[in-house]
Amino acid sequence: MRLAPILGLLLLATACGDSPATPETPGAPAKPRVAVIPKGTTHVFWQAVAEGARTAAAPAGVDVVWKGPLQENDRAQQIQLVQQFVGEGIAGLALAPLDHTALMPAVAAARAKGIPVVIFDSALNGVPGEDFASYVATDNTRGGEMAGAHLGSLLGGKGKVVMLRYQVGSASTEQRETGFLTACKQAGLEVVVHNRYAGATVGEAKTQALNLADTLRDAQGVFCSNESATAGMLQALEQLGLAGKVRFVGFDSSPPLVAALRGGTIDALVVQDPRRMGELSVQLLADLLAKKPVPPVVDTGAVIATKANADEPAIARLLR
Amino acid sequence: MTGGKARLLRSGGPLLGLLATWLLFAATAGGTFTSWANHELMLLQTAVVGIAAIGATWIIVGGGIDLSVGSSVAVGTMVGAIALREGASWPLAAAATITACTLVGFAIGALVTGALGRLVLAAMAAALAAQVVSLVTSADTPATGACLAAAAVAATATWLATARLRWSLPLSPFIVTLGLWGALRGLAKGLGGNQPVYFSGNDDIRWLMMPGSTFLPPGVWALLGCAVVGALLLRRTVFGRHVQALGSNRNAARLSGIDVPRTELGSYLVGGACAGVAAVLQLAYLSMGDPTTAQGLELKAIAAAVIGGASLAGGEGAIAGTLVGAFVMTIVDNGCTKLGLDNWVQEVATGAIIVGAVALDRARAGARRA
Repeated sequence: MRLAPILGLLLLATACGDSPATPETPGAPAKPRVAVIPKGTTHVFWQAVAEGARTAAAPAGVDVVWKGPLQENDRAQQIQLVQQFVGEGIAGLALAPLDHTALMPAVAAARAKGIPVVIFDSALNGVPGEDFASYVATDNTRGGEMAGAHLGSLLGGKGKVVMLRYQVGSASTEQRETGFLTACKQAGLEVVVHNRYAGATVGEAKTQALNLADTLRDAQGVFCSNESATAGMLQALEQLGLAGKVRFVGFDSSPPLVAALRGGTIDALVVQDPRRMGELSVQLLADLLAKKPVPPVVDTGAVIATKANADEPAIARLLR
Repeated sequence: MTGGKARLLRSGGPLLGLLATWLLFAATAGGTFTSWANHELMLLQTAVVGIAAIGATWIIVGGGIDLSVGSSVAVGTMVGAIALREGASWPLAAAATITACTLVGFAIGALVTGALGRLVLAAMAAALAAQVVSLVTSADTPATGACLAAAAVAATATWLATARLRWSLPLSPFIVTLGLWGALRGLAKGLGGNQPVYFSGNDDIRWLMMPGSTFLPPGVWALLGCAVVGALLLRRTVFGRHVQALGSNRNAARLSGIDVPRTELGSYLVGGACAGVAAVLQLAYLSMGDPTTAQGLELKAIAAAVIGGASLAGGEGAIAGTLVGAFVMTIVDNGCTKLGLDNWVQEVATGAIIVGAVALDRARAGARRA
């Protein structure tokens, strides 16, 4: 106990020494504030979106507020966030809706107040350009088809395939899953499981995948439709001793997934360009604030990354 | 000192906490926080958790606990959404939702008090309610007939068994609701076939949680109404006083002639009904039935009750305090967003405020006693 005052003094001294004067520039005209609301904040994917949004902020002449729901499946909280930003009179709103229907009233309320809304990553029911200003996203169906076609060529057009879905009601991943199933049919693969959901976290995904252990041992190919599901499946395959033996195509990237891609336990990753998604969303909002016309739909593209092409600059930029 | 004055003092502590939190964010976030529109929004955002917390307070005062209210709300939104999808009017869907959650409350009460016959009664009532809704909306529920028959057989068997053997099996409410926390979540997913349920085109129910339609949205009035009714029931009726007596000393309550199982069952019924109203509002807020919704609501409801001065040991707690507790948590959520704080800061702050508020309250109580 006698140490406490000494520790306290030391802490105070070091704290005072550390804190730099905040470089606020007084007198500068206030920039318009735009809010960027992702589906969640912990996935690497959203962190890349945030980076893109923040990079684009200065050239676009806006301030970016980045705020997501605490849990990546809490629709009610995302609605609350939209309502709250609309309530405080934010200049513009970029939103990755957790649900294609539940977020509609909140977005309509923003439109009614004249706040431009850009939807990114995941679809919202309604017509882009009318119900909301613009839709910036990967063509997810195409991404799923690419995954299916790649798995088809890896397996030589035959074999049993397991697909682990992400979560109910998530439009972007459902489109990938649909695209994947279409491509599998064309490639002649037999999809033995396609009705299991990974859930929002890596932990849940791993549990779900381990529950499929027998089916996985019997299968030749595996597909997961987002980062957390892919990571959970990877851990499960490693635990089951199947990693590297079964052909595995995932979606999105994160450090462990890239390491697995380079190590050969993941055969391919369909990677999107989340950074560009964030940049474009903020740029479009700035254009809208300046009353410039914007395209109603913008495809930010997806590519197949494999061990072979992982070091090409165009691919390496997206693998992180 | 009269009971009224003592209660006023007791809810004074949480009220001070509310004021302090409000002032903190008013000072740091400024006009966007203190505006009336923002307060209307905060009231709206407190409606669901506030009503669930009123139910939690009843259960906690009675010496129990309910960890399943979030899952129960999810089941409620699914039931209501299915009714709306099949073309039911919104009052009917709301009634179905409240019925479903009240039945869940009844089932919890039956399991906790060990009255297994009552549990089967609940199952029969559920099947019957589903039948009624399907008749009104002319939807297909082919299984209900079979369910009804099976439930009747099971009910008779259980009644015979319990009557013959006087077999009753009380369980700890913690364990019962821990089990139901998962089971009800699964049921919610099963009700929609692992999918959320949408009811586009029949969404009048959204009016309940729409800001601007009336002076304060109907959901906020529902919160205030539930609070007034809940508080009056708890303080002014024999049943309410029995619940309090049961929570403070179970044996003394039994010895003074209170029908303990019946009173305990009653407290879970009130909790279930509150969960039902909360589910209706959540349904209106989401404009969909979401099987994954309201995760963690149970802990928020318990936290609100505890910030408001309820004791997890039972016997103590006030509805007014619980409302204050729920508002404190909304203010923290809202204010942190206004300040642009990171999610992790917000979560840490919320935790600190819960523990801090309770510590403060206990310190005050101790000082008064000394």
